[in-house]
Amino acid sequence: MRPLTLKRLLWTCGGLALLLLASVVLALKLGAVPISVTDLILDLGRIAIGRANELPTEYRMIVFDLRLPRILLGILVGAALSVSGASFQALLRNPLADPYVLGVSSGAALGSILALIIAPEFALITPLGAFLGAILTITGVYFLGRREGQLDSTTLLLGGIISASFFSAIIIFLMTTLAGRDLRGMVFWLMGDLSTPVSPAMQWIFTVGLLAGIGAIYSTSADLNLLLTGEREAAHLGVEVTRVKLVVYVSASLLTALAVSASGAIGYVGLLVPHIVRLIFGSDYRLLIPASALCGAITIVLADMLARTVVAPTELPVGAMTALAGAPVFIYLLRRGLP
Amino acid sequence: MTYFDEQRASHGANAKIRKRVLAAICSCTVVLLLFLCDGAAARQVSGARATPAPGREVTDETGRKVKIPQKVERVVSLAPSLTEIVFALGEGNHLAGDTDFCDYPPEALQKPHVGGPVNPNLEEIVSLMPDLILATSINRFETVTALDRLGLPVFVTDPHSVEEMIATVGHIGSALGVEKSAAALAEDLRGRLADLDRRLAGTAPRRVLFVVWTSPLISVGRETFLADALRRAGGRSIVETSEEWPHVSLEEIVRLQPDFLIFAAAHAGDTQHDIDSLGTRPGWKDLAAVQQGNIVIVSDAINRPAPRMVDAIETLARALHPEAFASRTVASGAGFSLRGFAPWERQSPDWRAKDANREIGVPRRRLKPAPLAVEEACACAR
Repeated sequence: MRPLTLKRLLWTCGGLALLLLASVVLALKLGAVPISVTDLILDLGRIAIGRANELPTEYRMIVFDLRLPRILLGILVGAALSVSGASFQALLRNPLADPYVLGVSSGAALGSILALIIAPEFALITPLGAFLGAILTITGVYFLGRREGQLDSTTLLLGGIISASFFSAIIIFLMTTLAGRDLRGMVFWLMGDLSTPVSPAMQWIFTVGLLAGIGAIYSTSADLNLLLTGEREAAHLGVEVTRVKLVVYVSASLLTALAVSASGAIGYVGLLVPHIVRLIFGSDYRLLIPASALCGAITIVLADMLARTVVAPTELPVGAMTALAGAPVFIYLLRRGLP
Repeated sequence: MTYFDEQRASHGANAKIRKRVLAAICSCTVVLLLFLCDGAAARQVSGARATPAPGREVTDETGRKVKIPQKVERVVSLAPSLTEIVFALGEGNHLAGDTDFCDYPPEALQKPHVGGPVNPNLEEIVSLMPDLILATSINRFETVTALDRLGLPVFVTDPHSVEEMIATVGHIGSALGVEKSAAALAEDLRGRLADLDRRLAGTAPRRVLFVVWTSPLISVGRETFLADALRRAGGRSIVETSEEWPHVSLEEIVRLQPDFLIFAAAHAGDTQHDIDSLGTRPGWKDLAAVQQGNIVIVSDAINRPAPRMVDAIETLARALHPEAFASRTVASGAGFSLRGFAPWERQSPDWRAKDANREIGVPRRRLKPAPLAVEEACACAR
């Protein structure tokens, strides 16, 4: 593999950012109400020079109040899931690790539902509960996967899958017994859904939290490269293993929690995107983290665009789209040997 | 530098250039495609709305204050029952859009659809430029909040009984500015229900099981409008629970032995097929009602809190208490009208005829007040 240079890093990220921009434009254009790109660019120009009031109200509502926030949320969710997947894969030295497979997503979902039941009046309680759920789950699964002081990858994955189904059972129990509450929306949310707009305050929290989480993980990416060779080896090479692990576990749980409280449990993105990025760009974490973030964003934006348009005006949950596309790719990767 | 090194170097450089060219071609194609598929799909939503006329404020059934224009011109309904109410009030021409499940009256099928009641497409709703959106308890709270945030007026109804359904008709009537026809419609419905009460006075209520879904067995709780409809028709649900759509055990039903099983004619042929198979299904075949054929299929109108529900209640009452309807004249002599006097019937009498023909075969994809499990299944099926 070629060594990573700054030039290569910038070129790759720049190219991916352009691709992301193209997907955003495409996603803005397509939808239940079609809009032409020429109009879109002209209108963006109008907004840029502060003449937004010239646009028809309905049009502005559809494109800039409904579609654009949803796409931006998709970008954040995709980036968060891919980066947390990539970091779990490095920490656990397990190519199949992913917030969904490890049960962290389900833990976060359970945490946010519990928070919603305990204190429904606080808007910010959902991400907080999701974060607590995520961090408790990953701690639990980590200790489940330890055998004689060693991480056993099979036990770890089984522990994650079992926790995920256990949490799903609790969620179903809660949703059935608390029939008085309006938890019907949860059914969509649990499948992974971006169709419900979040409040502007939440959007800010997501943006800040995700940038902080991705930044923290990126700052440890050189150490993650060394950690891939083994914890003892990394310690010999001067890595503060405990500190790095703590930072990455907390940040990855934060990213998962934010993604889950925004859009529910969207599967396969955290697993597949880092693998595809590795296949194309190599496994240097200094490139893998930003490239995964961008590719994850592209994936979710495109998947959500399909979810909105295939059976319009009815919508599919975006989680169904990612699973439809993700499961076959996963099997393909498994058969040809993981990178 | 040996020959081989040179070869390798030039080969590497070539590969690099080739890669770059490929990337450039790819990105150009993407951009070109973007513009090519632009085509005729020019801006569909255009023409800014005129500055909003001075509006009025109404309070909906959940206590929310809704600001609506003086004269509502474009209504979007988010549930089949609301669509029926709007048509029954004679305001069908002001209905700008409804849901995929709005199949009555047939005109409702011609309206632009905004998706299902549980996950309507917000973009589609906005593009219809509504000045009033009607929602009810089958819609999601999140949908209402999202529409609120966009500044669109949403009037939320929440009927839990037949009487409250009639009150809803009045509320929607005053929101649409047609208080008079709403009052006439309400009076007619109340009169028919009072006639029914008079006929059924003195009869003992039948113990019935309303089957929303057979596998798993889902029935209705005591606080739903359906349980109230059963009471009005001279039945009493054997399922006594505050849960709205309880998932009941068949063992319990076998123990309680209902006099009648009641099905709503849903899913076209499915209902008949379901009922035919009951005689052989474990548990069900032990019910006296199944053995004696005491099974009533009522129109799916009973599932919708809308005026047509009263028709279904009348049909059901006739099936449960044929003896009360045996005499051809009513003692009081007051015109007992089973059918034909509702104001919306006078507008287009042919709906009713059509509906009578398809009493059982009404194409419905989904029970309206679906419980969680059913909704989930439907969401997957969609």
